[in-house]
Amino acid sequence: MPYLHIMKILIIEDEPGLQRSIAQYLLSEGNLCSMASTYIQALERLGVYEYDCILLDLTLPDGEGLQILNYLKRMNRNEGVIIISARNSIDQKIEGLSLGADDYLIKPFHLSELNARILAVVRRKSAHGERHIEFNEIRIDLDAKEVLVNGKVLYMTKKEFDLLLYFVSNKGKVISKSAAVEHIWGDDSDMADSFDFIYTHIKNIRKKLTDAGSRDYFQSVYGIGYKFTEV
Amino acid sequence: MKLFTRYNRILVVISLSGLLLIGFLFYRMLVYYLDRQIDHDLVEEIMEVKEYSAKGNFYQPHEFEDLIVQYKKVEKVNSSSSYADTVFYNPLKHRKETARYLKTEFELVGQPYQVLVIASKFERQEQIRNICLIILIPVLLLFALVLLVNRILLKKIWVPFEQLLENITAFNINHERPYEPVEMPVAEFRQLNEVLVALSGKVKSDYNEIKLFTENASHEMMTPLAVINSKLDNMLQSNVLGKEDGETLVELYKATSRLTKLNQSLLLLVKIDNNLLQDEEQINLKSLIKEKQVYFQELISERNITVESTLADVSISASRSLLEILINNLFSNVIRHNYDGGKIEITLDADKIVFANTGHNKALDPEKIFDRFYKDNASEGTGLGLAILKQICNRQRYQLDYSYYQDLHTFTITFNHQ
Repeated sequence: MPYLHIMKILIIEDEPGLQRSIAQYLLSEGNLCSMASTYIQALERLGVYEYDCILLDLTLPDGEGLQILNYLKRMNRNEGVIIISARNSIDQKIEGLSLGADDYLIKPFHLSELNARILAVVRRKSAHGERHIEFNEIRIDLDAKEVLVNGKVLYMTKKEFDLLLYFVSNKGKVISKSAAVEHIWGDDSDMADSFDFIYTHIKNIRKKLTDAGSRDYFQSVYGIGYKFTEV
Repeated sequence: MKLFTRYNRILVVISLSGLLLIGFLFYRMLVYYLDRQIDHDLVEEIMEVKEYSAKGNFYQPHEFEDLIVQYKKVEKVNSSSSYADTVFYNPLKHRKETARYLKTEFELVGQPYQVLVIASKFERQEQIRNICLIILIPVLLLFALVLLVNRILLKKIWVPFEQLLENITAFNINHERPYEPVEMPVAEFRQLNEVLVALSGKVKSDYNEIKLFTENASHEMMTPLAVINSKLDNMLQSNVLGKEDGETLVELYKATSRLTKLNQSLLLLVKIDNNLLQDEEQINLKSLIKEKQVYFQELISERNITVESTLADVSISASRSLLEILINNLFSNVIRHNYDGGKIEITLDADKIVFANTGHNKALDPEKIFDRFYKDNASEGTGLGLAILKQICNRQRYQLDYSYYQDLHTFTITFNHQ
């Protein structure tokens, strides 16, 4: 199995429903989650523990989330930080990233997207960061943006590569078509409601993998989406 | 009718009728006084006649006096005298002239006589005419002068008003530039100007408040949407979902996604309104369109749509974010409203971009399609795509036109329209 180590994640989010959902998803991936609903709670947690990744909502009831970034910077902490915000503001994004945040995710988001981003951030942060992901006979080289099956390089388009990486990052989870569409199309596209063409993408990826001798790990789920999982 | 024309018309009508009335009265007065004067002269002539008769002579006037004295024997003296107008033959001038006579009877050299003194009014009438002309011509000249001065003065006075109108027309709620006040020398106009300044300020602040409200409302909705979305993502992981649950989840995902898109589009509109996307730079449109075509390639080939593009190498200076959204929206519009196996035509030259597509619909109403939330029922879009397009064109000062020609829905964006 790739990235075997368990991640410790702090969720700083004042909306309890969202907090629980995120935790539920991340826990089922085998991670450890702490929760904080306020600025003070977050500081208390951070004073005691170290994390692999911090999810930070910028609008907290008792203080600006950006202050937490300041705190982490002051304390020379090395945690990866992903801002989760309802504000899609370029200024705030730039401010957050310049204060040391590693990524900026706009609400609403799919949990699979959040999970993929967390993995990417943690991978980047870890000192001896593995620049490739392995899943049985499949090896994804993140630097070269290449997919190898049994050591043989496959040709994949950028979108196919992104999609495969997305599914592998969320292996064992069902990913809805809309989540998959949004992942490769971003949110400035108006087309996310035309889900059907995602089928073609998955079909192409499947064909390329199996043609190269890989087993078929994709499963279709009730017409909602797909799952990449051990056979 | 212009205020100026209306004012002048009334002024001319009143002045002319006043002038006519006064002229008529003046003329009548003048005639009356001159008649009295002639009558006085006639009486003096009669005195003369009486004086002459006392000496036993019949008086005859001088030739140059324009007078005729006629004597007629009567049975007996009827002591009455009468004045009246008449026409007589002037033997000196050999022509008929209007005249005034005095008829009276008295004893003349012992005999009863009727004496008729006729005096020509010709000279007097000449006098009246001259007096009238002497008065009338300066009055008319004065009147013309007043009209002229009025015209010039009013025009001058209205100049700031016209400036004010121009400024109102130029006032755009979307532009940063506030309504520009005009220097007003006239109190009423100044008042109007002040009212307009206040009004435009109010309109602007109200508009900003609405924008802020839209922005806040949309933002507030994002968090609950995030909750719904994340709950759905977790539900999807359940192993006990049946086929029906799956279908329900699909619908829920679709609805949530649509609501999210709607919110994002509203926020985008506010952002464009607020001029938050100002990353002006030189953009190569040809490569931008090609890049987006690759981006949309799967959607296009999935539906067997043919793309015919004629792209010139054009670069323009504009906001990159806005142009990306613009091209994105054009592409998603021509793909979304196309039919399978349809056609897309893209033309780019130095003046304009043209996106044309085949579609199920017949010609659309060009007045309405750029309105917010205008869409046909079959569309799954937000109904904001074209409104965003329009807003970007407004912001970049491009002209956006829609036409339907040879079964193609055609959207034309002209860059440097005047």
